[in-house]
Amino acid sequence: MLKDITFGQYVETRSPIHRADPRVKMVLLILAVVFIFIAENWFGHALSALFVITTVLVSKVPIKMYLKNLKAILPIIILTSVINMFYGDAISGVLVEFWGISITYDGIYRALFMSLRIVLLIVVSSSLTYTTTPNDLTDAIERLLTPLKFIGLKSAVHTLALMMTIALRFIPTLVEEAEKIMNAQKARGADLENGSLKERIKALIPILIPLLISSVRRAYELAEAMECRCYNGGEGKTRMKQLRMGWVDVYVILITLFYCAGVILFNIFL
Amino acid sequence: MAILEVKSLTHTYGGNTPFINDAVREVSFTVQKGEIIGIIGHTGSGKSTLVQHLNGLLKPTDGEILIEDQNIWDKPKEIRKVRSKVGLVFQYPEYQLFEETVYDDIAFGPKNMGLRDEELKNRVLETCKIIGVKDEYLQKSPFDLSGGEKRRVAIAGVMAMNPQIIVFDEPTAGLDPKGRQDVIDIIHDYRKATGATVIIISHSMEDMAQITDKLLVMNKGNLVMFDKTENVFKNGDKLREIGLNVPIVTRVFDELRQSGIDVPCDVFTVERAVEVLKQIKAGDRNA
Repeated sequence: MLKDITFGQYVETRSPIHRADPRVKMVLLILAVVFIFIAENWFGHALSALFVITTVLVSKVPIKMYLKNLKAILPIIILTSVINMFYGDAISGVLVEFWGISITYDGIYRALFMSLRIVLLIVVSSSLTYTTTPNDLTDAIERLLTPLKFIGLKSAVHTLALMMTIALRFIPTLVEEAEKIMNAQKARGADLENGSLKERIKALIPILIPLLISSVRRAYELAEAMECRCYNGGEGKTRMKQLRMGWVDVYVILITLFYCAGVILFNIFL
Repeated sequence: MAILEVKSLTHTYGGNTPFINDAVREVSFTVQKGEIIGIIGHTGSGKSTLVQHLNGLLKPTDGEILIEDQNIWDKPKEIRKVRSKVGLVFQYPEYQLFEETVYDDIAFGPKNMGLRDEELKNRVLETCKIIGVKDEYLQKSPFDLSGGEKRRVAIAGVMAMNPQIIVFDEPTAGLDPKGRQDVIDIIHDYRKATGATVIIISHSMEDMAQITDKLLVMNKGNLVMFDKTENVFKNGDKLREIGLNVPIVTRVFDELRQSGIDVPCDVFTVERAVEVLKQIKAGDRNA
């Protein structure tokens, strides 16, 4: 059951988006997310949807993978749309009214827009993690945070990036460890599947405590191993893999800018 | 009486993915009550996968496992009952300790089986007595103990469930020579006291020669040999073929024999070697 965790799952399909520079992808993702929320009419949303669908198709990642992520946040989508339904403008006309609460046409629109936005947001963000390896991502974050050096956070940039790299690197290790401990406790008769909520939470203690202890032990070991290899912070460190921008990046940037311009135009003129 | 029967057990990992892989293939064997069985084989030969089937942690892709003539998967809802019949001590069991005191940790298993109050207390104390967990340790935190003692407590945690079959996955891994001997002694003492059937996975041929009645040899998911320990160790060439070996004493005696000295070929433990050498010495004197 732990193996189903899809966090940061990279899917190798060698698409143009895979080849694009992770820094570019990350900045463009932020831009796209902002514009998905800036769009405020049908045309704007249609354009957002078109942009996201294009991204999905070009990425060549199976659509099933995206749907899996959507399924996980379905409750959030439903909750936000239901709440939005009641916050419509009454002038637009009331659809139904009960117990003093009314659902207006405006509310329905808001609910639809909001769920569409969330769906697009999730899909476009997953396209980044599906097409970029975790290591590339942290590299990109480190580069993008470089400006912080000028406001006196010189070592923080590298430390932060290193922390993220380590955290990502150890997710599979921890999953494996958790599975081992779960099996060991099951062998001692622990019941993880049945019982009330309270009992099940209590049943997690025999797993979490050993897991926590081994994580701390691992952290010490890693720190020692790094010191043995003369690790002393990021100062003057060179990289095996240099990030370079290429033609793919130009295309990707142009398409995204085209989308952003479209949203602005629709917002102003329609 | 056959206490455990494994019938053409196959386990496949990664069912519908390109990484499909038979970890265990068509393995069948029978274990009699009270026997000590050793399982040897390379890392990745399917030993650990095999033993995780015995208490129902893994479900066979194909084949069945009978304990006292009862298929353990007949009633999937009652699989936890199987786990109290077949105790499984994992590799590095000290990493599963979690309770505040040694006593509570040993009591975890029996408590899960439904034991309470006096019965629970008696069970824990009895187990501690058999395998030598000292009384003054019982109220200590398990995390304050030394590595060897932690392992002893962790093993006690499984033994306290009073399983009819107890399986150890590399019980001596990572211990110093004294710690190793302690663990072997614990297993011996426990078996003597309860008459339980024991299955041990180990890479140490010396430990195996010392303690097991029969050896089961695994290679790449297949069962290669299942025979009396001495018969397996007489087949040194077959073992070397799959990258395993016989105990060091046996190798020494093989070389003695090759250089023309007449020694028997059933020397697998140091004790036996000493005995044989003494006999030869006595023989020389008489001649």
